Amino acid sequence: MKYQKPTINRVDFAMMSKYGSPLKTQNIRTNISGIEVKELVEKYGSPLFVFSQKEIEEKFHRLKDAFTSRYPDVAFGWSYKTNYLNAICNIYHKLGSCAEVVSEFEYEKARALGIEGKDIIFNGPYKPKEALKTAVAEGAKIHIDHLFEINDLEEIAEETGVRIPVAIRVNMDTGSYPQWNRFGFNYESGEAFEAVKRIHEGGLLYLTGLHSHIGTFMLDAEAYGTETAKLIRLKNRIEKEFGYTIEYIDIGGGFASKNRLKGIYQAPEVIIPTPDDYAQAITEAIYTHNEGEKLPRLYLETGRHLIDEAGYLLTGVQAYKRFPDGTKGYILDAGVNLLYTATWYNFTIELDRHYEGINEPSTLNGPLCMNIDVITDHIMLPPLERGSILTISPAGAYNYTQSMQFIRYRPPVVLIDNDGKVHLIKEADDLETVNFKERLPEYLKLR
Amino acid sequence: MHQTIALILKSYAAILFLENRAAGAVLMALTFLHPNVGASGFFALASTILFAEFARMRQAYLEHGFYLYNSLLVGMGIGYLFSPTPTSFVLIFLLSVLTFLISFMINTLFSPRRIPTLSLPFSIVTVIAYLAALNYAGLFSTLVQMHHLAEITLPPSIGAYFRALGTIFFLPSHIAGIVMALLLLAISRIMFVMSIAGFYTGTAIHALLIGSWSMALSDPYGFNYILVSIALGGVFLLPLRHNYFFALLGVALSVVFVDATKIFFNYYAIPVFTLPFNTVVMALLFLLATIGYEGFNRVIKSTPEESLAYYLQTLFRFGPRVPNTGLPFTGTWNVYQGFDGKWTHKGAWRHAYDFVIEKEGRTYKNEGNLPQDYYCFGESVVAPVSGYVVSCRGNLPDNPIGTVDRINNWGNYLILRSDEGFFVELSHLMQYSLAVKEGDYVHVGQIVAKCGNSGYSPQPHLHIQVQKAGFLGSETVAFRFGAYRIGEKMFFNDLPPLHEPIDSVLPSPNLQMQFGFVLDETFSFDLYKNDRCVDSVTWKVDMNHLGEFYLTDGDNRLYFHTTPTLFYFYHYEGTESPLQKLFALAPRIPLTMAEKLRYRDYLPLYLVEPKSRQLFVEFIASFVPSRYKREFWYTMHAFSIHSSFGTVVLSANRKGFEEIRYDQTVLRRRS
Repeated sequence: MKYQKPTINRVDFAMMSKYGSPLKTQNIRTNISGIEVKELVEKYGSPLFVFSQKEIEEKFHRLKDAFTSRYPDVAFGWSYKTNYLNAICNIYHKLGSCAEVVSEFEYEKARALGIEGKDIIFNGPYKPKEALKTAVAEGAKIHIDHLFEINDLEEIAEETGVRIPVAIRVNMDTGSYPQWNRFGFNYESGEAFEAVKRIHEGGLLYLTGLHSHIGTFMLDAEAYGTETAKLIRLKNRIEKEFGYTIEYIDIGGGFASKNRLKGIYQAPEVIIPTPDDYAQAITEAIYTHNEGEKLPRLYLETGRHLIDEAGYLLTGVQAYKRFPDGTKGYILDAGVNLLYTATWYNFTIELDRHYEGINEPSTLNGPLCMNIDVITDHIMLPPLERGSILTISPAGAYNYTQSMQFIRYRPPVVLIDNDGKVHLIKEADDLETVNFKERLPEYLKLR
Repeated sequence: MHQTIALILKSYAAILFLENRAAGAVLMALTFLHPNVGASGFFALASTILFAEFARMRQAYLEHGFYLYNSLLVGMGIGYLFSPTPTSFVLIFLLSVLTFLISFMINTLFSPRRIPTLSLPFSIVTVIAYLAALNYAGLFSTLVQMHHLAEITLPPSIGAYFRALGTIFFLPSHIAGIVMALLLLAISRIMFVMSIAGFYTGTAIHALLIGSWSMALSDPYGFNYILVSIALGGVFLLPLRHNYFFALLGVALSVVFVDATKIFFNYYAIPVFTLPFNTVVMALLFLLATIGYEGFNRVIKSTPEESLAYYLQTLFRFGPRVPNTGLPFTGTWNVYQGFDGKWTHKGAWRHAYDFVIEKEGRTYKNEGNLPQDYYCFGESVVAPVSGYVVSCRGNLPDNPIGTVDRINNWGNYLILRSDEGFFVELSHLMQYSLAVKEGDYVHVGQIVAKCGNSGYSPQPHLHIQVQKAGFLGSETVAFRFGAYRIGEKMFFNDLPPLHEPIDSVLPSPNLQMQFGFVLDETFSFDLYKNDRCVDSVTWKVDMNHLGEFYLTDGDNRLYFHTTPTLFYFYHYEGTESPLQKLFALAPRIPLTMAEKLRYRDYLPLYLVEPKSRQLFVEFIASFVPSRYKREFWYTMHAFSIHSSFGTVVLSANRKGFEEIRYDQTVLRRRS
């Protein structure tokens, strides 16, 4: 055993808690889907984003089965913003998901991947008219966010002489906090119904769907029951009063992943609803409230729940030091520039092997020369060494799409396929990528 | 009137354990070979009906044959002894009333234990009658001289059998015996064979004991052997090899019983009649019914063949008669420990299952040091049955890996009392995860808790058992899982094997609605032959007096039953029709959603075999039950069911069937 400088730890919390001794327990992960993390780092460098196709598919099938075993007509729309790496999108498309996009950029990305317009759900508060025109021409499912969009679409309908099928987004009180009321039309105030009335009176559009998205990382499955019940009641009323056939309802996304929210003590397994919890609440509400002859198709725009746990960030220890308060500080090669979700999550941090010594309070800092670059500021870790590799997870949702080229280059991304083969799906940035499309005025050039 | 005649004919048939009215008519005619016997028997029947009407107990004699056939026997017994005079008829009337009373008493005492009344009332009343008659000088003057029936000569060893058979109807004659034997042969081969086997076994044992074959053959009470043999070898026990042994054992016992009773009864000039038969059969059935013997015939049909067919068909299709529960989880899990498990499923608690989630042979990720490393930790636990929560606990902590709670073995638990009456216990649930409380009603498939690691649980897993009572730690009973899947293959009423990924089967509310047929609903189809519309058929949902539902086209009936997870057909009555085809095309429809399902089912012989072969197979099946199996595979895929018979397409958005295709025929649902 190597010499370690002695440390003093507070032991006022139980030596033996429910989940083992905080001074001895080490979370260890040597591999991801059978591929050694050391091997990955040796080959592709550190930091490195790693996705496991097997875990993606397992998670997808688990959620899909929870719904299809309870409801006959369920469809999934892959939420592009959660992770729009081409390889990731196509895994979901091959699993049968359509695309859920929220901008003209995402729309174009989906089209470029070969997704037909009819298989694109076009959401979002900002849809330029040109983008709407394309979406109409290509038959995308347009979910209207505000009255201006109704006007825009009616103009397009007049120009093209086609009645356009549309859906509206509805916001509502589902008993959860914070209530998301920025998007779409409000249910309780009657705004949503008025919007449909407006569409009906305009006569140029017709309603085929209802959409809502009640929030993110929802810990209460019952909120979805309330949401679905309200959507279905609205559907019943609209069908009765305007004679529309509402073919589908889209209950949005927001299902939680097994990530540990800051400020919550229990393990995610304890407080995060299971796919069955969500599925039971939603499908029961449809069966209970639907009055139409046919059951509507149910769309889900699940993103985070599906991809978060299948994504990992590997990072290496660059250096460590002892802070004046006695805490051990590690400097890693990945920081908040790559882990946007560090704001909300206490990630699972796993070691590449067992380390000698007892755990001590430690802080994990990123490589940025910025005081805010803290991945976690209190974690019990054994003494690590320079070059130790940490696996940070769940990191599959939002982190890559929201990661920044800031101070350092963006790292590469690899995908481990179902046969254990590793594919580089995004190369690391270099100076050329960063300088791409940058223009240096002639007079500023240094010679 | 029609009903009364049917009832009278049936009571004649019932003495030979038959239900057939024609047989009843033949037997009734036969009794008039000895006019005294015939007339007295008939008078006794009439007296009983009269009394029952007077006592306002019509329902009793309509439902239970023994009220009438016991009186009939008493009447014939008196007629056998005394000439018909007003005095004898008064006696017959009184004895009929007494028989009715005693029948009621015996039935009330014995039926809760599932012991049949048999002809015990007759045995008791005749003893009383003959003892009483010793005082009635008037009657004795009319004592019947041994009436000589028309007779044919047969070798004694053969003739004795027919004589014994005839004696059952107080007609100790070869001719009567031959007619009755032919009746038995025509209606049930098994009964016929048992009558011969019983008679000669009893006689042989008797001969062995008394040392004279000819004396044994001429014993007037040999008919007891026949009755015992038939009663045990096909009527009250199922006609199976094992039970034939019981039947012959019963016969042997009745030999001793007859001999013993004779000594005592002869002293008072009382005939022994059927007392040995009743006593031996009742004693054996008392034992077998009480211990819950598997070969006990719980649903007595009109012939042993039909009882056997019903039993085997039910056994093959729906497994043994034990509680059936659903799986307590959703998705794919593995069996960690089954019945008589390696670790804890022992003794009174051997009927239990433990489930975990396994991926690549391991139940956990990483090092497995923490409960949350285990794949099943935190997964939803669903109610395996519909019923009430009778007991539960949810506040015990989840153990750190490798330690167990030895004091609260069961950990956090739920006990449900199913609608069918049995108790299901789920154990080792996660602390504070219970979504229900005592007294709540839960539906099968409803989420009730999360899988945890509380109690005697070294690693997170889900424990399920079916138990005798609703308290914690009650003794377990054998059970089966109603349905589960291994890949595409669906299994019904079975126990999942170790080391296989088991998929649960959730009931689909959508399919439940589609097969929730309501009385008077109709389904109309156009019938196409070779693409030409040639006819139309309409099926209506109807119900019989037993509360059984069926589809009918007016003439034929196809009986169906619905459970939360299954719709199935179980019986067809009528002639060849599209309705009959539907039975073979879709004998069962799992009310669950899955992309593709494959399952097997067993069809009754009458659907797939010609009549002649049916008779043969039914007889053979009593020795080799597997010969009755008619196994067929079905594939359910995208709302249609395919099999070697054809295809049935289910409706996507309305009740019932959309299209039925077989041979060159297509039935298309009218919109």
